[in-house]
Amino acid sequence: MKNSLFMRLMRNPSGAFGTILIMVYLMAAITGSFSCCPYPPDEQHVQDMLQPPSKHYIMGTDEFGRDVFSRILRGATNSLKVGISAVVLASLVGITIGTLAAYIGGNFDNIVMRVMDIFFAFPAILLALAIVAALGPGMRNTILAIAIVYTPIFARVARGPTLSVKSTEFVTAARSIGSRPIYILRKHILPNITAPLIVQISLALSWAILTEAGLSYLGLGAQPPEPSWGSMLSDSRMMLELAPWLAIFPGLAIMLAVLGFNLFGDGLRDVFDPRLRH
Amino acid sequence: MKRYVPVLFVILAVALALSACGGATATPQVVEKTVVVTKEVEKVVEKTVVVTQQVEKVVEQTVVVTATPEPTPAPKEGGMLIVARAADAKGLDPHKQTAFSSFRLLELIYEPLLGLNSELKVVPNLADSWAWSDDGTTLTMKLHPNVKFHNGDIMTSEDVKYSFERILNEDTGSAARSYFTDIQSIDTPDDNTVVFHLSRPNVSILAAMTNPNSAILDKSAVENEDPGKVVIGTGPFKLKKWDVDQVTLLDANKDYWREGVPHIDGMEIRIIPDESSILAGLRSGDIDWALINDPRIAIVASNPNSGLVVDRTPALAYHVLMLNSGREPFTDVRVRQALSCAIDRQQVVDTAALGEGKVTAPATSPFYAAPLDDLFCYHKDIEKAKQLLADAGYKPGDITFKIMAAADEPPTAVAEAQSIQAQLKEIGVNTEIETLELGNYVDRWLKTDFDATIALNGGNPDPDIMFYRYWHSTGNLHKVAVYTNPKIDDLLDKGRVTTDPEERKAIYLDVQKILAENAPWIWLYVGYEYRAMQPYVKGFTPMPNGSIKYLRDVWLDK
Amino acid sequence: MQRYLTRRILALIPTLLGVSIVVFVVIHLIPGDTISAMIGTTYKLTEAQAEALRAYFGLDKPLYQQYLHWIWAALHGDFGYSVRSGEPVMSEILKRFPVTFELTILSLLIAVVIGIPIGVISATKKDSFIDIFGRLFALIGLSLPNFWLGTLIILGLSLYFGFMPNSGKYVSFWKDPLQNLKQMIFPAITLGFAFTSSVMRTTRSSMLEVARQDYVRTARGKGLRELTVVARHMLSNALIPVVTIIGIEFGYLLGGAVIVEEVFALPGIGRLLLQGISQRDYAVVQGTVLFIAFAFVIVNLLTDLTYVFIDPRIRYE
Repeated sequence: MKNSLFMRLMRNPSGAFGTILIMVYLMAAITGSFSCCPYPPDEQHVQDMLQPPSKHYIMGTDEFGRDVFSRILRGATNSLKVGISAVVLASLVGITIGTLAAYIGGNFDNIVMRVMDIFFAFPAILLALAIVAALGPGMRNTILAIAIVYTPIFARVARGPTLSVKSTEFVTAARSIGSRPIYILRKHILPNITAPLIVQISLALSWAILTEAGLSYLGLGAQPPEPSWGSMLSDSRMMLELAPWLAIFPGLAIMLAVLGFNLFGDGLRDVFDPRLRH
Repeated sequence: MKRYVPVLFVILAVALALSACGGATATPQVVEKTVVVTKEVEKVVEKTVVVTQQVEKVVEQTVVVTATPEPTPAPKEGGMLIVARAADAKGLDPHKQTAFSSFRLLELIYEPLLGLNSELKVVPNLADSWAWSDDGTTLTMKLHPNVKFHNGDIMTSEDVKYSFERILNEDTGSAARSYFTDIQSIDTPDDNTVVFHLSRPNVSILAAMTNPNSAILDKSAVENEDPGKVVIGTGPFKLKKWDVDQVTLLDANKDYWREGVPHIDGMEIRIIPDESSILAGLRSGDIDWALINDPRIAIVASNPNSGLVVDRTPALAYHVLMLNSGREPFTDVRVRQALSCAIDRQQVVDTAALGEGKVTAPATSPFYAAPLDDLFCYHKDIEKAKQLLADAGYKPGDITFKIMAAADEPPTAVAEAQSIQAQLKEIGVNTEIETLELGNYVDRWLKTDFDATIALNGGNPDPDIMFYRYWHSTGNLHKVAVYTNPKIDDLLDKGRVTTDPEERKAIYLDVQKILAENAPWIWLYVGYEYRAMQPYVKGFTPMPNGSIKYLRDVWLDK
Repeated sequence: MQRYLTRRILALIPTLLGVSIVVFVVIHLIPGDTISAMIGTTYKLTEAQAEALRAYFGLDKPLYQQYLHWIWAALHGDFGYSVRSGEPVMSEILKRFPVTFELTILSLLIAVVIGIPIGVISATKKDSFIDIFGRLFALIGLSLPNFWLGTLIILGLSLYFGFMPNSGKYVSFWKDPLQNLKQMIFPAITLGFAFTSSVMRTTRSSMLEVARQDYVRTARGKGLRELTVVARHMLSNALIPVVTIIGIEFGYLLGGAVIVEEVFALPGIGRLLLQGISQRDYAVVQGTVLFIAFAFVIVNLLTDLTYVFIDPRIRYE
């Protein structure tokens, strides 16, 4: 089953290309976590500061003479950690809440969605700032902050289609023959709301990387000298004209990663589609 | 796979576009050029102390490209000056403001009794002259006659008395109060004479009277009003409209007591929070004059191709690594000394500030600053640092502490922390950087809740004002500085009552030597005050303390 | 329907009350207060002086007392005064909100006008040039952080065209529509790019989903014209997730796009909030968040109501 899913994904052009990009990303992240090559990411070579890309430093160096390529690799590790953990957390909690609320309906739906509204209606920056200020800066709390900001989004995205599917013939039929709710949710509703959710998850992964950039801008997120793509990009903003390579490479890295996640999502959607499976 | 060929093309195109737009405008060579200019300034400053004239030379160098050579033409009258800056004033009550962003507005509207000239010497302002009694406890001042407030009232000695009493009243919460607590009473023998009676001699009171916090208010206008709302001063500009965080409109004061100025009709001060956007506004010609804080932006603006004039004046405010000597391991002087020896201050400047600054002694005003070679471990000495740590009983890797830094205040703070972190690693001292949002940072700063912190502290031309609050055991911020030394107490007390400049200088030289030797803080560098303007803006004199009061002399050559 | 509406509107009250409590707790949870923020970093006051100021602003009272005091006044329409400017909070908000609202509407327009048609074409002509180009466009839009895009736009305009969209002097639409649009169009494009991308992608995937439904095949089988099939049968059914996304993004943008407002120096509500937070101007933060939350729940309600109009199968009893 796993094998056939993978094979079908590889036969899908979007899926294949997305998978390749994600593999590259994962490899970068794994390499980065060992801080092996070519330099330790926080090692300063002051005499080589602000070098454009060259033989020694293929992506140039920053104002401390740190190798941008090594930092991109380590940044992949950190961005992946933050992005994946935050999205997994937010989607698990959010989808559960949203589906249940729509399926059970009535007062439960009302109360749960109103509580979601409270958090949803809350400006993300204030929420993130408060969480990080209360718990202290650092990666774990950044993950938590991003997850809390995105949970209500997943809840709403899951709820809308569930409402729609709930009133279709096959769910009504399943209900009338006395299927258990859990069974209906798993067998009929989840597969039918997968498409919008997968699109949402692939979007959210890229959002998480971008949100992390925004938080780095406020001094939250990965603490220096630990790099993340977001913080590299926001640090480079004032150097755009002085040292464009500081901006181009993290920017490209983010773009390719986001591209990878989205293509992967597109591919998965095609593969998962229940009507294509049967 | 074929379908994605266009993807790659677009990515390539974007990358090319990015590199093209960067490459076309700035190359690292330009940075080098700027650094050379900076060094020239440094050299001359050491010799003569006349800061501003040299800076003007720098300006000329930049102008050559664009300006047409004119033999000092007569100022033209009229026109609005469009000013941009990133941060707005935090309030309008001049006695209460503590932020530099507030001073940069209030010093155009309000005036204190005394002023500083561009060489930071105390000069007459609203007071024409002053005289000390022989015992140094009575200060008599003659006010400039017929100075009018913005509402037409004539300024008298009553207004001065009212203003200082308001500052001294604890309920006001004035930022300047601690400088004037030696004032016992104020007499007003006639409309143009004020007599201050002090409980003990205090020379630095004159320097304190140049501060925007010592502004003179119109007693009859604000006695029953909130000076944060009724804004009436004696300055060259009147407040027309304050739209917080957006636009401030100032009208020229037609009745200004100095003859012939201001030349312009008024100013429109726009708040543009992002300095790269300020630069864009200067380039598009929408903005005439701007305050720049970020050295990275200033470097780009100084590029001769930009067609802009950038004033670069060494600042008085200083970047410093404050150690908490009340906490382990900094209770041991040897550990503090070891850190001081391990840090190459110039390297911090070169990396974090891209060379935009100069290493500083504890006192930052050029007259009082100690020669760096006389100070303990101002040259990096790794062996000595390691020895000191070993003497104190620490092995490499034993010490780990946190460096607290504010996220964007100053813009270079986190970068400074990273440079220090890397340098301390060389002697086996580990550090973690803790980046905090500004409000959070200030809170912890005031509570002395840190191992070590990067700070940008305000400087002052007078060393007493700089040192007393932190290093005298009765100073109001001594709690934050922690370190106490009876020798310093004695010297600071002596400095307050010494009138002879050279004698005073010697006293503060000793203070600085003791401070550097005991290293309660590690003084790093002073940056520059940047003022970027169009070539047609003439007549501005920059000040090392960052003041922009000389906007009153500005005229537009267009 | 009417009962549902009444119930939903009544339900807004606890939500907003909840928001008001959460914002109060959250803003006071952040270390530092009005006074320490006023003091700043470069030029400092002593702790004793700070305490005196705290008492002056009533910040020394227990939190619940401060809350009750504030909410009571707020229920009477008094949201307090900004410590910074001395202005009533409500008038500050009402001055700032139109900027954010206009920015949001403009980027919504861009997103709908470009995103939905391209999404539809992209889905109906799958794997065509337009499809590939459109998807690429969307992916780029999603992968550029907007502060980054905004900076690039400003840099490009000022360097190559000597033009700066907004040099700090905002003009309202009613005063000078042309000047106003000149200022707003580039920030709107900056925000609208990502907005368009998510609308386009959602439209496309939703259309593809609908295309496989039986009723679409039936409609085609009946020999209806392709245009009719797409417009009547597919689009109307595919719009639900699109409306959801639009509702979410719209509500999100109404809360102010802080960084874009900063980069383009627009006096919007996001900047007001950020300034309020960094100054610990509690009345401003509380008032602004409550206002944003209000706008937000209204948008949510409208989104939910839109479902009914688009899809008759959804009924609210």
